[in-house]
Amino acid sequence: MTPAQVPIVAWLLFLAPISAILFGFFILRPLKPEWTHWPILLSCAVVAVASVALAARVYADGSFDLNFYRWAAVGDWGVDFGLRIDGPCVAVLTMVALVGSLIHVYAASYMKGDPGFSRFFLVFHLFFLAMIGLLTANNYVQMYLFWELVGLASYLLIGFWYQKESARKAALKAFLTNRVGDFGFLLALLLILTTFRVAQFHIIYLKVLVLASGGHTPEFLPLIGGLLIWAACAKSAQFPLYFWLPDAMEGPTPTSALMHAATMVTAGVFLLIRSWPLIAAVPGLPTAVAAIGAFTALASAVIAGTRKDLKRILAYSTVSHLGLMMLALGLGQIGVAVFHLIVHGFFKAALFLCAGNVGHAIHQPTANVDEVGGWRKALPWTYACFLLAALSLAGVFPFGGFFSKDAIVDAALSRGGLFAAAGLLVSIGSAFYIFRMLFLTFHGSRPEQKGLSAHPHEAGFGFVAPIVLLAVGSAFAGLLRPLIERLVDGGLHGLPVSVGGVALQMNLPGSAMIPGFEWRALLIGTAMAAIGAGAAYALTMIDAGWDWRWRVSSPRLVRVFDTDFGWKTLIGWIADGVTGLGNFAGRVLDKKWWDGAIESTGSAALGAGGLLSDASRGRLNEALWWMAAGAALLLAAGGLR
Amino acid sequence: MSLLTALWVVPLAGAVACALSGRAARWTSLAFSLAALALSAAALRPVLASSGAGLALAGGAPGAFGVSYALAADGLSLSLVGLTAFLNLICVAASWDLDVSAGYWACFQALACALCGVFLARDLFLFYIFWEATLIPMFFIIGLWGSDNRRRAALKFFIFTFAGSIFMLLALIAVVVLHQRATGEWTWNLAALRGTDLGPAAPWIFLGLLVGFGVKVPMVPLHTWLPDAHTEAPAAGSVMLAGVMLKMGVYGILRVALPLAPTVAAAWMPLLTLLAAISAVYGALCAMAQTDLKRLVAYSSIAHLGFCLLGVFSGTAQGLAGAALLMINHGITTGALFLLVGFLYERAHKRGLSDFGGLAERAPRLAFFFGFSIMASIGLPGLNGFVGEFLCLSGIWQSSLPIFAVLGVIGVTLAAVYALPAYQAVFWAPEGPGSVSAKVRDLGARESGILWTLCALMLWIGLAPQPWLAALAPSLRGLVR
Repeated sequence: MTPAQVPIVAWLLFLAPISAILFGFFILRPLKPEWTHWPILLSCAVVAVASVALAARVYADGSFDLNFYRWAAVGDWGVDFGLRIDGPCVAVLTMVALVGSLIHVYAASYMKGDPGFSRFFLVFHLFFLAMIGLLTANNYVQMYLFWELVGLASYLLIGFWYQKESARKAALKAFLTNRVGDFGFLLALLLILTTFRVAQFHIIYLKVLVLASGGHTPEFLPLIGGLLIWAACAKSAQFPLYFWLPDAMEGPTPTSALMHAATMVTAGVFLLIRSWPLIAAVPGLPTAVAAIGAFTALASAVIAGTRKDLKRILAYSTVSHLGLMMLALGLGQIGVAVFHLIVHGFFKAALFLCAGNVGHAIHQPTANVDEVGGWRKALPWTYACFLLAALSLAGVFPFGGFFSKDAIVDAALSRGGLFAAAGLLVSIGSAFYIFRMLFLTFHGSRPEQKGLSAHPHEAGFGFVAPIVLLAVGSAFAGLLRPLIERLVDGGLHGLPVSVGGVALQMNLPGSAMIPGFEWRALLIGTAMAAIGAGAAYALTMIDAGWDWRWRVSSPRLVRVFDTDFGWKTLIGWIADGVTGLGNFAGRVLDKKWWDGAIESTGSAALGAGGLLSDASRGRLNEALWWMAAGAALLLAAGGLR
Repeated sequence: MSLLTALWVVPLAGAVACALSGRAARWTSLAFSLAALALSAAALRPVLASSGAGLALAGGAPGAFGVSYALAADGLSLSLVGLTAFLNLICVAASWDLDVSAGYWACFQALACALCGVFLARDLFLFYIFWEATLIPMFFIIGLWGSDNRRRAALKFFIFTFAGSIFMLLALIAVVVLHQRATGEWTWNLAALRGTDLGPAAPWIFLGLLVGFGVKVPMVPLHTWLPDAHTEAPAAGSVMLAGVMLKMGVYGILRVALPLAPTVAAAWMPLLTLLAAISAVYGALCAMAQTDLKRLVAYSSIAHLGFCLLGVFSGTAQGLAGAALLMINHGITTGALFLLVGFLYERAHKRGLSDFGGLAERAPRLAFFFGFSIMASIGLPGLNGFVGEFLCLSGIWQSSLPIFAVLGVIGVTLAAVYALPAYQAVFWAPEGPGSVSAKVRDLGARESGILWTLCALMLWIGLAPQPWLAALAPSLRGLVR
């Protein structure tokens, strides 16, 4: 295949957003900033259609991978930039394009009238573009480029309302934490290039498989795998680097929705999907991924059940669900991980936008369960959508989440042991926190909730239509199962390669299988959801004041949950340590001690010569001029001879 | 007059013409800067076209003590000459509205002349003359047109770098004398001196060269002149200082120190690499503590040049190419940052992080360019800074000392820790009680034009570095080992 044969839709994925951003930045922003969203919405439509068309093409004709131009080549290695359009790519891409476009539509209403409207849309679309680039990259360097661009865009969006100190801090925290993760990615990149001399996924897979078939793993492979996992932990908010994500809700709600559902946190999972042949070749690493995922999923599900801020509950929920995806990956279930990533994208976007509507009703960027409550009748559409998405999240049959989440729990049960226990507990926890949120926000009336006196009402069409579509999508996402299975399978098995001129087929490790409806899963999933939802009902509806009471009665427990079991405190100490080290180096070591020592010898000598006085400055100048004149003379003499 | 001679003579003529043209000096300066840039482009074109293989030579019969007028140019020399001419033009454009005397414009032309001479000379005596000649215009630029503490900073700059050069001169003389003893022939020609058996004096000679060049780079612990000099110099002065003059040190190590004493260099590699890695991390740590925007950029330069040295000392193709490219990149990016800080200072006469706030609202164009340049500076892939850093780190990773690459990557990580909080304090945070932000008006068309040029280059090199690497690589191959 040559670049000329690349389907036009693949080019459109980049052309549309880039031209929309350039047009918006150079023409509309100065002239008509309130129109910035129009070309961008048009670009969203183009991208959505193009990605569906591309997915259909890959589904029918298979994938392609080719290089376009040489980015850099030095010595014995070179990096080419190109496109890799395969099953996992188009599956995630289609979700990102559809969900992302709906969030764009929502944002057009939500951000209306904000003084930074134009800036918001430009950066928002850049975020979207960065994710498209990340998904379609065919090598690690190109992926790293878009990975960082995703990070930059998220930084600008989290800090969008930069007048607020909390927004500035959250943006910085997000960027720096991701930078710590990038430390791993960058080192992994260096190692990959040193080991394989290329960065292209396809060739690396082949080399790893050939080596593995000979019972041999490259020396650095365990380290490469570990570093890539570390990088994914930062981007996909996994322990130990998850802590930036809950604060990242400081950005406008559409940002949170896009970031949690489509464009940012899924990047880490996608990196691991792309790197799976490397990780699977190292014994023990897959289990480590599963363990990180299971631990993070469980711990954050517990914390999500104790939060009061709606967006924060959802943020911890995202961390938990990303943990589930990692768990699925770690168990080798790539198809299931991709499936849950996609279903999660739909329901999480819907939930965040619902939270945005609730916040909008009280004219705040976010809402707290102290301020809102019993809004079922006031916000009927939002409530209905929230309910659908919540049922999907909790894994209730027959909604989307049932198929994807319970496939993960199923895999964990088959593996047994702690993974099984974690899977079941996360199921209970998920149902608990999402129904607690549902009941507290939309049902009942509690004296503790001050906002009851307000008169909330549903916002306009632009606030409701995208959510309805997302919620319906999340409800029916289970139907996508066979499509995704086949797409992922096409990305893993029977890949054409040519070794020494002989055409062969390459099979990557991991399973694309996604189990369909099973009675066992129905029983277990429903039972877990019922336990969680029942507990939530008991502690929010029957005993309506419990959520406020336990906080008063056990302040120590509040502290434990507020600091994420102490982890945030520890991170704070580390951050202080680094700052302190910088201050010591810059102010004491460099300025006072070293420069001070040098200057004191210098000024002693200068003082002796009286060079610091004005008269002597003249003398110094004079000396300099003589020197220059002498040099010129010598030069001239040299030239004449 | 050959093209190579013209490359340094034209700025020299420019300096004289500026000094003589009084009030019209800025126009004279603009004309000569344009001419110099056109000349360097003309010289660079065949090298780029032949993927860097082309070498031009201009010579003359040796004079007293074998001193000769030997110039040569390869991809490395010509790209640095091009960088000098380009940044000089940028400086002229950036200083256009300053109320300064003809001497200011003459000094910049003289500086460009000396810098081009350094990069083109292949006779070590000539090299030394040009090397010291750079000090004079820069001394005046800092001392006469700098900010409050300018005299002190100019003196510190001069004494530091002059003292360093003395060691370098002694080392060069030693090499020449040793060569004469061995062959009976006096020569300062670099190509002829290569391969001279330095005997037991070799470590001392290498140390002398290292001190001379290391001060200029600057390599920790020889760096303390830099924050003061950069901070007090006028904006355009800082641009030339950071953009080109620091590269003299790296260039000297590449062109002179490593080829003359390759065995010592190889033996000292662990120590040198350690010093380079320390520079990269220490510069970043010190930058974190700065409260003055210009000092912060100055310390970031130390860190970036640390990466550059990591690449140089790695001795691998990737490292050397990275170092060469990083020199160009750092000139563009840090040049842009110093200009932007300079524009702020011109408007408000303050540089402290806490003196501003809310500038994203008051001066959105300034905020945009500053943010863009910061991103290039901290190594965001897709912009130029990343390519050089990445190649340098990749080079060191493939050398015998991969552990230092880890230190380097820590330096990359720390870059965001010093740069972003500073950006936030100046542009995002609300204005504090003593804020002078009200005095800051946004960039005008001339200033925006300059920064668009620089930012476009950052993006171009970041997305398509291959032509640049292809031009640089062949000239680097012969330098080490």
